[in-house]
Amino acid sequence: MRFRAKIVDLACLNHFSRVINTIAKLAKTCTLRLTVSKLYFILSDKVANGGVSMWCELCQGNFFDEFQMEGVAAEHNEIYLELVPENLSRALKTAQSAKAVKIKLTNKHCPCLRVAVELPSLSSSSRIVTHDIPVGIIPRRLWNDFREPSVPDFDVSIYLPVLKTMKSIVERMKNLSNSIVIEANLSGEMNLKIETDLVSVTTHFKDLGNPAWASEDGCQSSAQDRDLESMAEARIDIKKLQQLLAGQQVNPTKAMCNIVSKRIVHFILLHEDVSLQYFIPALA
Amino acid sequence: AMKCVIGGAHLRVFRRAIHAIARISDEFWFDPIEKGLALRSVNSSRSAYACVFFSSMFFQHYCWTAVSQPCQKEKQLSLPCKLIIKSVLPVFRCVNVLERNVEKCSIYTNINDHHITFQLLCKHGVVKTYNLVFQDCDPLQAVFAKHLCPNILKVHSRLLAEIMIHFPTSQEEVTLSVTPMKVCFKSYTEEDTDFSKTMLTEIQLNPEEFDYFQVGVDSEVTFCLKELRGLLAFSEVTSVPVSIHFDVSGKPIAFSIEDMVLEASFILATLSDVEKERASQQAPERENSGAVASKKPQWNSNAANTASAKPASPLAKQEIKDIPRAAKREVTGTEGTAMTEAEERAALGEAAGAQYQKVRRPRPQLQGSPISYFCKRCIFQFHSLFFGAVSCQKDAPSHSFHSLATASDTEEDFGNAQSSPV
Repeated sequence: MRFRAKIVDLACLNHFSRVINTIAKLAKTCTLRLTVSKLYFILSDKVANGGVSMWCELCQGNFFDEFQMEGVAAEHNEIYLELVPENLSRALKTAQSAKAVKIKLTNKHCPCLRVAVELPSLSSSSRIVTHDIPVGIIPRRLWNDFREPSVPDFDVSIYLPVLKTMKSIVERMKNLSNSIVIEANLSGEMNLKIETDLVSVTTHFKDLGNPAWASEDGCQSSAQDRDLESMAEARIDIKKLQQLLAGQQVNPTKAMCNIVSKRIVHFILLHEDVSLQYFIPALA
Repeated sequence: AMKCVIGGAHLRVFRRAIHAIARISDEFWFDPIEKGLALRSVNSSRSAYACVFFSSMFFQHYCWTAVSQPCQKEKQLSLPCKLIIKSVLPVFRCVNVLERNVEKCSIYTNINDHHITFQLLCKHGVVKTYNLVFQDCDPLQAVFAKHLCPNILKVHSRLLAEIMIHFPTSQEEVTLSVTPMKVCFKSYTEEDTDFSKTMLTEIQLNPEEFDYFQVGVDSEVTFCLKELRGLLAFSEVTSVPVSIHFDVSGKPIAFSIEDMVLEASFILATLSDVEKERASQQAPERENSGAVASKKPQWNSNAANTASAKPASPLAKQEIKDIPRAAKREVTGTEGTAMTEAEERAALGEAAGAQYQKVRRPRPQLQGSPISYFCKRCIFQFHSLFFGAVSCQKDAPSHSFHSLATASDTEEDFGNAQSSPV
């Protein structure tokens, strides 16, 4: 098992740092899956996470100038690592002006991702900052736990409002209630509702637009027959929603959510070279 | 008694100094002397000492008079006061408010009343007055012979801050490793560090990056980063280079800055190699400091005082290791072999001979008085921290103890200066 990668371009480095920062806000520990062409940050839906799950996909070519990987075996040319994304975020935080960043899988005292940041200095040789981030190697027999989640059979799919607006609203609602209801219909209308003994607050969004999903045989018929005004709703943990919104550092190109009534809300945030899917289950 | 006025521009510096000292301990010594005002602090395990000295030129106005207490035969040359940092911080809290609105700050001491008054004269005629009670206390001063250190680095505070920023704020200890060819700061790890849970950071630098680089002996010293951060923040407002004086592991490391109107020194204990070795040997029993202590046959009643310092950090372990040695000296003291005056004075590092005289009493009295606890701790810990074996006649001095204090010669006047005060 070998892995080496290098980023030289500052813009790519900043972009990569931003992705890592977002992941760090969403998960304390997660799985990093490395393939020849892509990196995935995966959080599988365990009870410990409160049932949320995450799937984030990046094309390595968009970030790394050099990327070499050798998986556990020829037919399974992939590496699955368990790590604390906050550590990676911290290692990259001070690399804002780096000349180069190299990441390598090493095994000195234990398996680590070694991040070596080459910083400019006043002297002839660069300053080198090395961070050894401990990782866990996930054995192949457990790889099945980390398969890409399928898009659920949703009732309504709708584009999200401007994330910044949504974030500030959810943040204020968070002070009043532990759970929030998201409801939306196929007419581009979405409501965020909280209700407590003392107060209920609803924020209405309209003209959001509904994404058209490529119909597979039989799958979409339920959605197409649906009354356009009828709301699909789910009550979810408000903190999880707030974490998702707060973690976004750049406005995505596309942001949408799929609601399965009373079951789960599936968020999809697409950037040019990164896609992030986040599932928040409905509260009982 | 002292009265001084700090002008607006310097308030920021003064505030940073207080915050820097706050990193060391909850209380600090407010020590006005003729030449200026010294603020000092030492942490509970005596492994960190800070002193910021503002010369009278720092102040818009500085006036100090000696006060004689009715009960003292000699004039007090200085009367240090101990203040709780938490009480002082609010005075200098909102830095923006401070810089925009406060025109100057006056500080008066009122010995009889045991008060120190901080008065902020703000714009629009607003005057904020804070009266703080101080505790009488014994003088605190460490003596550290910087010029005897083989390794000296001088670096701009900006660079030092740029280095330390790579370590997380939770990082307690950091190891500085130098050879004539390179300098490296890295996270400290012990033998039993759980590497699978800890992120380790290492920064390698070229000696050329330092304004002054002298490495007389290859060494690797480990010190507490948390305590240093205060000095780093402080040095940023002064834009004066930071000097680092150190030796091999086990000897203290001093970070200091000096300009025309102020001097600041932070002296931190470093983990000694011997202690590291012993620590790994005694690893199974290490959790209980009492267990370590009980192995020492010389450990006497002083164990009650000092065993309470649990070795939560490696530096505390150093303290416990050194104490038995000193404890032995204490025992010999009660048998009538008093330390020589020079040694005792060096140990306490008295600023003024008069103070020293007050402290030097026959041993039996020392035990009971409130001063004695301080003296004992001072002798033990400062002794272990800064002086190594200030020649203990009976013991064969161990190779790891070299006296760092320029032990004052007996022929020197008591009233005159002490050796390289900090």
